[in-house]
Amino acid sequence: MALIATLAGIALLAVSGRFIASMALAGVSGIAINYFTPAALIRGFAIVRTGGRYVERLVTHEATLRALSGLRVWLFQRLIPLAPARLGALHSADLFARLRADVDRLEHVYLALLTPLLVAISASVIVLAVMLAYSVGIALITLLCVLIGGWWLPWWGLRWGTTPGEREVETHATLRIAIVDRLRGESELLALGAIQNMDERIGKMDTELWQQRRKLDRLQALGGVGAAFAAQLAVLGVLWIGVPEVHRNGLAPADLAMLAMLALALFESITPLPEAWAQMGATFKAAGRIFDLADTEPVIHEPKFPPSMPTDTELRLEGVQMRYREDHPWVLDGVDLCLAPGERLALVGASGAGKSSLAKLLLRFHPYQHGTIYFGGLSLDRWPGDALRRRIAVIDQRPYLFDASLRENLLLACPDTDDATLWRALHDAQLDTMVRQLPEGLETWVGENGMQLSGGQLRRVAIARALLMDAPVLILDEPTEGLDAATARSLYQALLRVTQGRSLLLISHRLGSMATLVDQVACLQQGRIVKQLTVQDYLASRRREN
Amino acid sequence: MQPARRLVALAVGSGIVQATLMCVAAWLLARVLFLSIFEHVPLARVSGYLLALLGLAVLRMGLAYEVRRASFAAAVRVVGSMRHRLLEHVRSLGPLWLRSQSSGELVTQVMDGVDALVPYYARVLPQTALAAAVPLIIFLVVLPADWVTALILLVTAPLIPWFMVLVGNAAEHASQTRWLHLRRMGTLFLDALSGLATLRQLNAAQRMIQTIADSTESYRRETMEVLRIAFLSSVVLEFFATVSIAVVAVWVGFRLFWGDLDFQRGMFVLLLVPEFYLPLRALGTLRHSRMEALAAAQSMAELLGMPLPEKGVEKIGRCCVAEQIGISLQDVDFQYAAGRGVLKQVSFDVPEGQRTALVGPSGGGKSTLLDLLLGFARPQRGRILVNGEDLAEFDMNVWRQRVSWVPQRAHVFAGSFRDNLLIANPQVGDMRLRQVVQACALDMVLKNLPRSWDTPLGERGYGLSGGELQRLALARALLRDSPLLLLDEPTQHLDADMVQQIFEAIGPMLSGRTVLWVAHNLDATVYADHLVVLDAGAVVEQGTPTQLAHGGGLYARLLEADERA
Repeated sequence: MALIATLAGIALLAVSGRFIASMALAGVSGIAINYFTPAALIRGFAIVRTGGRYVERLVTHEATLRALSGLRVWLFQRLIPLAPARLGALHSADLFARLRADVDRLEHVYLALLTPLLVAISASVIVLAVMLAYSVGIALITLLCVLIGGWWLPWWGLRWGTTPGEREVETHATLRIAIVDRLRGESELLALGAIQNMDERIGKMDTELWQQRRKLDRLQALGGVGAAFAAQLAVLGVLWIGVPEVHRNGLAPADLAMLAMLALALFESITPLPEAWAQMGATFKAAGRIFDLADTEPVIHEPKFPPSMPTDTELRLEGVQMRYREDHPWVLDGVDLCLAPGERLALVGASGAGKSSLAKLLLRFHPYQHGTIYFGGLSLDRWPGDALRRRIAVIDQRPYLFDASLRENLLLACPDTDDATLWRALHDAQLDTMVRQLPEGLETWVGENGMQLSGGQLRRVAIARALLMDAPVLILDEPTEGLDAATARSLYQALLRVTQGRSLLLISHRLGSMATLVDQVACLQQGRIVKQLTVQDYLASRRREN
Repeated sequence: MQPARRLVALAVGSGIVQATLMCVAAWLLARVLFLSIFEHVPLARVSGYLLALLGLAVLRMGLAYEVRRASFAAAVRVVGSMRHRLLEHVRSLGPLWLRSQSSGELVTQVMDGVDALVPYYARVLPQTALAAAVPLIIFLVVLPADWVTALILLVTAPLIPWFMVLVGNAAEHASQTRWLHLRRMGTLFLDALSGLATLRQLNAAQRMIQTIADSTESYRRETMEVLRIAFLSSVVLEFFATVSIAVVAVWVGFRLFWGDLDFQRGMFVLLLVPEFYLPLRALGTLRHSRMEALAAAQSMAELLGMPLPEKGVEKIGRCCVAEQIGISLQDVDFQYAAGRGVLKQVSFDVPEGQRTALVGPSGGGKSTLLDLLLGFARPQRGRILVNGEDLAEFDMNVWRQRVSWVPQRAHVFAGSFRDNLLIANPQVGDMRLRQVVQACALDMVLKNLPRSWDTPLGERGYGLSGGELQRLALARALLRDSPLLLLDEPTQHLDADMVQQIFEAIGPMLSGRTVLWVAHNLDATVYADHLVVLDAGAVVEQGTPTQLAHGGGLYARLLEADERA
């Protein structure tokens, strides 16, 4: 379509050039010529060109945008199994930049690169063939100019545009990260007197971004201007070769006008090329950022053939060793632990003893190097992650709430829950009184990352959310943080009631009043379970120590 | 004249000169063709003309480059400071406002919104001026050469802007809808990406994929809507232009045939006619850049028009200068707009150089009090006195230099461990740094990090345990030489041994400084000189830890609840 429109445009100019020259010649010499054909041709080409351009633009944009939407969703899908282990060090704003800005940049590949390139090549071949029929010299000189404008200049643009283009993409992404950081961390930046520094840093990045863009724009301007100059050269070249040929009667006079116009028109398809290619560096960089992410292998591989899932919920760890990096000490160094169905166990250990790492293993968010974990008698490796996580609910140490209403956050795991169940979960999490006091109740907006809630409220929302999942195994990671002792105590009483019959793994640095919740205590020290005893014995031994 | 305006003028001026030279070139070209076709002259007779054409081409290209360069420079002048302005405004709106916003949407405005303005200033604006000037020049040149063609140009030209105005309204509406959607998409994407692990944990990832797919799909549809209008308007422009060119060509041809017009003038006119429409057509293809810029500018204007919180009686530069700080709250009432976090008639003293702990049930207004002391919000009634002076009159920028704060959920900035530690005090000496790192038991943490000080930290501290992150937050606040320390649950995620170790280690650093900390973990309250118990926004009791432990009040009950294990 694009090609037809362009060729029609070229033909339009060329035929009018020839038409006018012939008409003038005919007028001078008084010979009657067939003027209907060229006149009709001119009008026909005019309409084809306009209509063609419209349809072409619609079709290419529609196709490109569809492809990009698909790519965005696909990329998001690819990201999910990478979280959290592979995405740990990547900022969400960086992911956001890739998912939005970088994907948008790919639009350029099809709209500004592939289509125009194909059109330019085809148009050049056709036009040069036509020229060849009239004069070899003219065709050659035009070819030379086409090569300058359509090959050398784009190559030159690509060569010099790659570095600023790549840096532009990078700076754009880091600027986005910095701005998200600046927005999310504003309270701290203000309170720690660091906001001036941060704003200066952002200012510097912004300046850098404009500098790279200026470089790119200059390159593009030079490329565009250069191509237009090549067009002028082509016309001059045609005349330079053509004038003597006409003089020698080697070329029909009217054809000279046509060929000159033809050369000029051909460059309509060539002029955009240098500009487009100067942007190539940026586009490649964006594509690289997208595919780097998409090609990242998840740390956990889902089993190829999902087995029939057992109903048993016994959790057993045998000699589990785990570390985050090869050259690092073991975080878990031979953990043996068993959580029978309905059993309640506290895992107690100092800060950094590897408690939360254990929770990550149980969710299949991280692999372990040695030993085996069985859930329901089936090795964890053979469990599909989603099925496993439906049975094991974890309340995170740092729970994340989404920028939505309280209700939407609670219903995340099971959207079909009715209100009665919802309120029961809120009651169990000791939140119902507070929610009833809110003017908007369940529709209250919790803000990004639950910003509108206090630390204790946030944690209880996370607890309610996990309770709604109704999973047979519940893992609570430091549930007391942010709660006062009285609230915590009533929370435990409620939890004790609602978790009857479920297995409970409590992870904490400090058992304190949570002792009422569990029967057994396992002590984790330097990646090993050093002792496991009943809660009574544990408390007695603690008392002796003090 | 402003530099930006001068640059636009330069761009437009160069464009006009360029167009004039183009007319000369067209005349020369027509002349060459005439000589060659009708006189069959040898090359030598026209080589002068060809050389002149070459010279003109060089000049015109220089001018065309200048148009681009100057317009882009003008755009940078105008738009380059826009991000800074937006962020400044966000800063003036204050952290409380920001907490109610979505950073995904704001960053979309600051990044993509500002970017969308560039084509407007770099292309649309100069092109609009050229679209008015260049056709006029060509018309004036064509008029003496061939008045019939001039007449055709005169009749068709006004049709184009008229039509563009006609499509304008529908286009603007579609463009605004699209822009709004883009902002919402920012919220959705950034939020989903920040909570990816949570989505997996809750088995909600599939549903989120669906939400994202729906959102991108409707964004695509809205974009196509805008493009369709933009293309339609540009196609109509092209149609007018093409038909006019064709009419001129045929008309010129027939008059040549009849001998009414000589070839050279006919050719000259024919070469100029496409150039007559070119600036208008170029404006048409820039149509959607214009619409996008307008929509982005509108939403930015809304943000910039957001009324700033009242400055009150704040006096620039005013602050207390005393080395030690004592605070006294007098009948302070406060409530957030949403009706949460209520303080009622709160009065108590934070004696200078002492450690005061705030205790009480969750949601009792303890963190709210810290917001007031940091100047993020102002009491609606009552006063906060700092060494006897009203905090409301202080210059908050100066006051905050005297305060250090550990929030309940410390923000981890993108960067390394070192960056995060030094953010509050980049010039801190090595000695001091080592001291603080050791006191907060961070040296152990550093040993286990893969790249030690240079380990990049993930968002929300991924890679650090809760307790490690807490110690990092504490350390960065301690690195500041501020006489007042506000700590919101500094001991969360820390076990009793660690708390004891840290408090003993930082003890010397705290001497002489006033500390106010919010404590849920009652173990740590033994390190306080003074306790204030807050319940439902009111002070219910205060005293030394020993007094209150035996006072039979709320604190004693909390302590009992904590110990009953």
